[in-house]
Amino acid sequence: MFTKDLIEDLSSNSLEEHIHKKIEEIQKKDKEINSFITLNIEDAQNSSKEIQKKIDKGIQGKLSGLAISIKDNIAVSKLRMTCGSKVLENYIAPYDATIINSIKKEDGIIIGKCNMDEFACGSDGTSSYFGPTKNPRNIDYVPGGSSSGSAASLAAGFTDLSIGSDTGGSIRCPASFCGVYGFKPSYGLVSRYGLSDMAMSLEGPGPFAKDTYGIALLLDIISGKDPRDTVTVESSKSYTKTVENFKDQDIKNLKIAYAKEFFEGVDEKIKNIILDKISKLESEGAKIEEVSLPNIKYAIPIYYLVVFSEFSSAMSKFDGFKYGHYVGGQDIVEAVSNTRETSMGIEVKRRVLLGTFITMEEFRGRWYTKALKARSAIKEDFKRIFNSYDLLIGPTMPTLPWKIGERISDPLSMYSSDILTVSANLAGICASSQPVGEAKGLPVGLQLHADSLCESKLLKGMRAVELACGGI
Amino acid sequence: MQLHEDKYKDLNLKIGLEIHVQLKTEQKIFCECSTDYINSSPNNNICPICTSQPGSKPMGVNEKALENLLKIGLFFGCKAYEKPFYVQRKHYFYPDLPSNYQRTSQPILGDGNFMGVGIWEIHIEEDPGRYELREGKVDLNRCGVPLAEIVTAPDIKSPEYAREFLRDLLLSLEYLGVIRGESGSIRADVNISIMGGNRIEIKNVNSVKGVYKALKYEIVRQKAVLQRGGTITMETRHFDEGSMITKTLRKKETVADYRYIPDPDLVPIYISPEKLQEIESVLPESPHNKKKRFMKEYSLGEEIVDALISDLYLSDFFEESAKKSNPIESGKWCATELKRRLNEKNLSVSTSKITPKHISDMIGFIERGELSVKNAKWIIEDAVDTGEDITSLMDKKNFYQISSEDTLLDIIEKVMGDNPKAVEDYKSGNENALHFLFGKVVNETEGRAEPSKTIKLLKDKLCMVN
Ligand SMILES: [Zn+2]
Repeated sequence: MFTKDLIEDLSSNSLEEHIHKKIEEIQKKDKEINSFITLNIEDAQNSSKEIQKKIDKGIQGKLSGLAISIKDNIAVSKLRMTCGSKVLENYIAPYDATIINSIKKEDGIIIGKCNMDEFACGSDGTSSYFGPTKNPRNIDYVPGGSSSGSAASLAAGFTDLSIGSDTGGSIRCPASFCGVYGFKPSYGLVSRYGLSDMAMSLEGPGPFAKDTYGIALLLDIISGKDPRDTVTVESSKSYTKTVENFKDQDIKNLKIAYAKEFFEGVDEKIKNIILDKISKLESEGAKIEEVSLPNIKYAIPIYYLVVFSEFSSAMSKFDGFKYGHYVGGQDIVEAVSNTRETSMGIEVKRRVLLGTFITMEEFRGRWYTKALKARSAIKEDFKRIFNSYDLLIGPTMPTLPWKIGERISDPLSMYSSDILTVSANLAGICASSQPVGEAKGLPVGLQLHADSLCESKLLKGMRAVELACGGI
Repeated sequence: MQLHEDKYKDLNLKIGLEIHVQLKTEQKIFCECSTDYINSSPNNNICPICTSQPGSKPMGVNEKALENLLKIGLFFGCKAYEKPFYVQRKHYFYPDLPSNYQRTSQPILGDGNFMGVGIWEIHIEEDPGRYELREGKVDLNRCGVPLAEIVTAPDIKSPEYAREFLRDLLLSLEYLGVIRGESGSIRADVNISIMGGNRIEIKNVNSVKGVYKALKYEIVRQKAVLQRGGTITMETRHFDEGSMITKTLRKKETVADYRYIPDPDLVPIYISPEKLQEIESVLPESPHNKKKRFMKEYSLGEEIVDALISDLYLSDFFEESAKKSNPIESGKWCATELKRRLNEKNLSVSTSKITPKHISDMIGFIERGELSVKNAKWIIEDAVDTGEDITSLMDKKNFYQISSEDTLLDIIEKVMGDNPKAVEDYKSGNENALHFLFGKVVNETEGRAEPSKTIKLLKDKLCMVN
């Protein structure tokens, strides 16, 4: 297992050198990829010296000095947190997110803050105020979003692990487009304290890695109850063991469903690769059956209603007085308008306006509350399936990565690219994406879903697919 | 005092209050900062949560704050809603509100009553910071201090009763130990309508006196508008403490403007029947039960009892004094003269120097004919102010009544001797001459002559004159 081997290597080789190499790579290539907004080089070098001493004594934490990049909407104390926006260009976080605390405690080395779609509003990584991130597999193509820099920094070899956030696919989409592993935990398993708000009832942080083991390792560290996030629950923290103990023959015990709705409108080349992997799993002994998710067709409108409403509320604080650039004006209304006009991108403004309109109608219980109710119909669909199956399998994205600039003018086609990923967020369940092949030289991701808080099942499925694809 | 004041009867005055009080807790409602926002320099009693730093999340609603809120509701006879309640976001831009939305819960309890005024609902919310308009400065130390909002029915019919209601409500909350003591102030939004006009809301009135003054001003203003043939349209007004007048703040305000949504960061809160029972079991006797008991146990009239129980410190004080004196007398003195003096001085029995012993001793002096009822009022004033014991007050003020017949007869004879004309007038049928001579006796004794005895002796003596 790649990540596990890497940790073992680090215990006998120089950690300082390992970190130094990562920094060199970043300095050489990131001008082009643009996966980082803020680098943490000096701090990372100092940490590598400190942790090296711990390794020499055999008292290092579980991450043992692995380099980790962090999406720039997660607070790391004393580092800038821009959320990919001009609004927070100069904002220095005065505190650590709960998961950052845990990562530091286990001796992870934070190497930098990653580029992202502005305030996580985007699906391809091109809407950042700090310029688009490019796909390391082919720099003419988008890396996927919104955690574009997290996936790209990992795919480009700038880091060993990464942390992103997933509101409707923001981890899984770039994982699929860049050819790395990405994991969206169940709602409440990982603390959101320190994750800047986009749509609070849908999102949470989650890990990126080069393999299933790396995902499980981070999950053990960042999961669990946090008094600073009331929606969190306890975690078994035994995910690494689950992956380590998984044997080839365990594939036979897996009951996997696939839904025809998750293949509608999907690129033929992607469809064939995924179906091929499904047959492979079946031939290894997994039980595979077709099921139906009738309510999935409502997922996109429900998802965007919830996102716009919650987002417009979350963005209220960026008025130029408390947070964000102060521009000034005749009165408070003009000053706030000026701040928003001059420092927010088009997609952010669109979402704030739509959300404000929706929530103004809300006192009649028109949309937001109804959308919350409709979510339960989608939850029911999944509940029914997970009563009989361990996993739901399908593609992560309906298309291959597109060329940079191709879809900017068409928000609706951008929104519809989320069609396969948003349901997991609406239902609060866990889901993953992992690379299973290539088409036209671009990576193809396979998505697995498991029931809420059934992370162990999902990791077993990921490991089974990893092994079925010839992984070690 | 009555709900209805005769002078406002023709106006069909309807007054409702939305009262904000700070709940007593160690920590703020959603974070671990201290609620002592006054004793630290500006913007030093804050953390990422109460300043709404990007990425910070509220911790769950402070348990002690919720407990105190439940105490208030149950004490006023409210019922707690059974279904889980959401904390909502109420959006508005203001310099002292870091997130530009205020977290405020759905109603938690409702349908209660205090002093004949319906309590519609009670909910919990967070206090914003403080904004100095003139200097343009913001202090966020207060952000996140837990507040209870108590919404009354428009049952109050006069500014005077509004003042009394608020004063007694605050005393009860203080008695319950659920509100921050030193804050002392309340913040109230006042709703008022008079016949022929629409409802006017006066925002952010910061004292009991302010509420009274704002209402007085509004009544005059609205009457004048209507008399001129104008109309009172629904609006929100602002009360200026300096000039004691209200000014238009905004004409139109709808719920839609606040864009309420349930806060996605907080799980809904469910209050279990066990929790309610636990709180109910430690609550002091409710005003309702106390009223029934006082009327039965002490044979007191309803008006006296209402006055006693509206201030729970006073009701305890009364019970203590009634142990050593006639309860009917004690009740009367506590409910009238004592309460009047306390209100005058803006004190409560808990903050003034008077003790139950003062009242019982004083009643003893009256019963023995040693103290006049008139002078007893002065005794109460002095006891409230100084706390000196009754005997020394009696001495100091020379209040001992002269009721010895011999002493009184000596004085009467002297007065009659000094005023032969008045004696003559009385004999020829002028009743006023009796009052004149009585006055002289009173003057001669510096007011200490026991009145009924003096009159009787004076009459007897006059009859004996040929
Ligand atoms: Zn705080």
